[in-house]
Parts: sequence; C-alpha cells; structure tokens
Amino acid sequence: MDKVFILHMFTPEKNLSPFDVNMAVDAGWGSTTPYTRLEVDEIPALVQDAIFSRGPIGVRRTGIFIGGRDVKTALDMLSLAKKSMVPPFEVSVFADPSGAFTTAAAMVALVEYELIKYGLSLEGANVLCLGGTGPVGQIAAVLAAQSGAYVKIIGRQLEKAQAVAALCNAEYGGGKTKIEGDADANKQDLILKADVVFATAAAGVQVLSSELVAAAPKLKVAADVNAVPPSGIAGLDPFNKGTAIKGSNSGAVGLGALAIGNLKYKVQNKLLTLMRHQNRKNDKPVYLHFEHAFEAARSLIKKS
Amino acid sequence: MAIRSIIHLFDPMPHNSPFDLNMAADAGFDVLLPYSNVKLEEINGLVQDAIFSRGPTGVKRTGFFIGGRDIGLAMDMLAAAKNAMVSPFVVSVLADPSGAFTTAAALVASVEKQLREKHGLELQDRRAVVFGGTGPVGLATAVIASLAGAHTTIVDHLSIEVALQKADEYNRLCGCVLHGTYASSDADKARLISHADLVFCAARAGVEVLSADVLADGQKLKVVGDVNAVPPLGVEGIKRMDNGAPLQYATHSPNAVGIGALAVGNVKYQLQNRLLALLLETETPVYLDFRDAFQKARELV
Repeated sequence: MDKVFILHMFTPEKNLSPFDVNMAVDAGWGSTTPYTRLEVDEIPALVQDAIFSRGPIGVRRTGIFIGGRDVKTALDMLSLAKKSMVPPFEVSVFADPSGAFTTAAAMVALVEYELIKYGLSLEGANVLCLGGTGPVGQIAAVLAAQSGAYVKIIGRQLEKAQAVAALCNAEYGGGKTKIEGDADANKQDLILKADVVFATAAAGVQVLSSELVAAAPKLKVAADVNAVPPSGIAGLDPFNKGTAIKGSNSGAVGLGALAIGNLKYKVQNKLLTLMRHQNRKNDKPVYLHFEHAFEAARSLIKKS
Repeated sequence: MAIRSIIHLFDPMPHNSPFDLNMAADAGFDVLLPYSNVKLEEINGLVQDAIFSRGPTGVKRTGFFIGGRDIGLAMDMLAAAKNAMVSPFVVSVLADPSGAFTTAAALVASVEKQLREKHGLELQDRRAVVFGGTGPVGLATAVIASLAGAHTTIVDHLSIEVALQKADEYNRLCGCVLHGTYASSDADKARLISHADLVFCAARAGVEVLSADVLADGQKLKVVGDVNAVPPLGVEGIKRMDNGAPLQYATHSPNAVGIGALAVGNVKYQLQNRLLALLLETETPVYLDFRDAFQKARELV
C-alpha cells in the first residue's frame, strides 16, 4: 500500500486557518497535522524531526505548509525550513500566510490580463495599492513592481506606509523594487496619475469613493479583494470580471473579490498539488512562495 | 464501511513530534490527532472523553500515543491513562517520549545480540556504562539493561548530583538498580570503561564521547553501541552502519565489536512501527512502555 500524503501545517498563530486545511484536503493531502504558536527558531528542530521517519520514498509524500498572518515571519520560516533539509531527506514547503501570496498573485495576474486587452502591460504602469499595508497589499505591490510598474503603497499613516514600502523593497523585492509609501490624505492628487488601483484594505472599508473614481482621468483597471459590502471601490461589484466600472470617466474596468477569489482558489490548489507531485526519480522538492503563485496564476489565465 | 482508525497523540511539549505523526500514519492510522501542552492531570479527562463515543468496536480502532521529552512524566501519563479506562471502553496506549523507549530498546537488543554471537555471553552480570546517561535515551537504556541483569552505571558529563538523583528516581520508578557518576575528562572516562564489558553511548548528537585513546584503556570491552548519527559520532572508530564490526581502537579488548547509530535506528524504526500497529491489531488492550519495546526488539533482532 502506498504511504499516505502527510502535510505538516505550521502557523505562528493560535489556530490554523480552516480555509487552508480545507484546501489541503481537497488538494489530495490525506493527513493534515497542525502545529500552532510556532516561533521561527523552532523550525529547524521540527523540520528535521519530520524528514527522518519515512525514508527516501516517504519524504516525497510528506510536505510542510506555512500559514499565519505575517509575511516576513512566513518567509523567514520558509527559508529556514529549506536550510534545515538534509538531502536526500528533503520535503516540499509552501508558504501562503493569510492566503496573501495566492490572493495577491491572482489579483495582479488578472489585472495584467485586462491591461493586455488594452494593448498595455504592468511595465511602466502607475499603480496605487490602497489599504496596502497589509499582507495582500504588500505582496501585490511587490509582484506589480517586479513586473515593471511604479507602485505606491497607500495607508492611513504616512510613516507606516513608508516603512512597509521599505520592508517590501528590502525583504521581498530582493532589493530590485522601488515601491514608495504615501498617505490616504493625498489620494485626490495621486489618483490623477493612476493607471491601476488595487484595493486591499480590511473587509467592509471603502478606499476609493465614487468621487475619486470619477476624478481618475487615466484609470484603466481597478481590482478589489473585499467581498464584504460596501465594496472597497465604489461602483465595483464582487462578481465583476473586466466589467466597466459605473461612474468611471476613463472607461476603467473592474475586477471584484469573487472573480479574484475564484482564481486564488485554483492557484492555491495548484501549488498544494504540485508539492505532492515530486514523484519521478529526478524531481526535486519545491519551496513555494508568492513568485510561484504569480507564475501559476498567469498560466491558469492563459489556459482558461 | 469499516470504522476508520484514530490515534490521539498526547504531548506535554508545545508541539507534537512530526516524526511520531509520520510513524503513526505509516503504521496504518487513518486519522492523526495531536494534543500539545498536555498536563498529567488532564490525561484522565481526555482519555475518558475519547473512549465513550465509538462503542466496543470503535475502541479497538482507537489508540493513544504519549510523547514528550521526559520519560518519568510519560510513565506517569501511561499509568494515568490505564487507570482512566472504563471496561469495556478500553483503548490501547503506547508511550515513547522522544522515541527514547524504542531507541533504547533497539540499542540494548542489538548489543545483547552481538554479546551472544561474538562472546557467547548474556546481559546478566555484565558491567555496563551508559554515557549521556541522564538524558531520555540514556536513562531508558540504563533501566532496560539493569532490568536485564547488567550492573549498570549512568554517567552525566557534568554533575554527579544529577546522576545520583536520576539513578535514585528511576530505581524507585522502575524497580531497577542504577549507579550514578560523572565523567568530565578523558581520565574519568578511561577509569570508567577500564573494567566495563558494555558501553552505551547516548550522549548529545554531534559530540564525540570516547576517543581512540580512551578506548585503549578498556581491558574487557565486549560490545559498544552508539546512537549519535550526526558527525562527529559518539565513539571513534564506530561507523554509522556498523553492526558487530571489530572495534579497532579497543586495543586491549580482544574481539570487542561496535554498533553504529543507523544500525540501531533501523531496528528502532521497525520497532516503533510494530508497536503502533499492535495498538490496532491487539484483541485485548495493551499498555506499552520500554519493557514491551525491549521484548519486541529482541524478537526483531
């Protein structure tokens, strides 16, 4: 009998996300075991404890998922887990804190797809990441910047927005991105140049009013990850998928939370499945984060 | 459809051991349920909560595992679990904190086998020294060896107080006769092994405990076993896969042989798998600790 697929699910939080557990089971993991309140320095011992008990075949049927709410903690855990492997005792690891990597990847890939319809791309586009200091906003900003966009993370407090932008550049963008931070109070000016808007604030918070939508002369695509009314962008419906935004004078199209969520779901499923499919002789374990999620989102859009 | 098998894994530590969870899955348990930060006084409530919901057939498809790092606490938890059962709602339990019971059982059984094959001797009345003797694997090794009749001394690398206190504690707990001492220098170690028949090395991974020079002071060494798989290994000259290979540096102990960590690990792995599977196979409930582990390990080697 083949060994069961076991996913060890790590989180620094008090509980795992039930969303992630459901996703793991539906992606074919037979057993999902939780480890909560984890500290980064506990990772090496747990990883080495996990890799040695099932032999070289068993490691291919064993994986580690890293959740939680904090992007930096998750990425630190991912890189420490990778370093703790003792080949050939090595298992695949996938980090997706708060689902932020797969959500941001789905949103940015869908926005890119709409821009392509205009004959444009993210290269050189002005992107405003509203409510952008959270996990989804941070990663969306990094993915857009890595694709050549000029990105501003906008938050209520200027200093925090600037600190988050600096963190994104230093830790996630590999020193190659130039994301800036700016304050909500300056939205009226900033919206004049914006080609793209990401709304990644907390659920139920409207970050772009109908006045600002009407006052955006260059806006082409706006995406909103908030599925709880009122929507994050006035005139945008959660089901919108490249639909014209009501009240936009520049003819901008919208991407709603359910359209983004539908792709996010497929991306997360694809990566969880990919971890289980390192079964051929020369396959290497995979270490997955937002860049792999973005790659998966782009290829899923191409196929649809 | 057959009732699925469930194992509840109780651990006093902040996290369960992924090693144990993997082993439980591979031994045939369908559903793995980790419980961390479990206290001794919570065992009664948890066990009784688990035994009543699946009926007399369901209890046979249910098992408990007790982990952690403290073998005394694990023994207490095992006793508390057994005590909490309410016939006919009775579930089998395996205790194996830090894998110490299965590792120690595999180590002693492997050493016993070489002692018989290479020297025609039994554990009874042999003089045994356990380095790393105050840690989980060392203590379990010492208890098993002592109960099998060996004159056994546990060695702490720093403190004689710790060694004496642990010897005392486990003599009371397990009915064995352990002596305690410390060895911080090569001279201390040489004195200890000069008249030893058996040496068990259960010290921390990556620490060489016995050098070639010290081994040369052994006058009667017969079998030396090491459980450290991380270089530098615990005993100079013993390779990880050795299983009865000549102990080249024990120049004054003719025919002495060594056993390495992967040879022990191979037995330990099969042993833990067998004991976990036994929780599901057994008709009458079982409560498995280091004694059962040693008995099964003897059958396996």
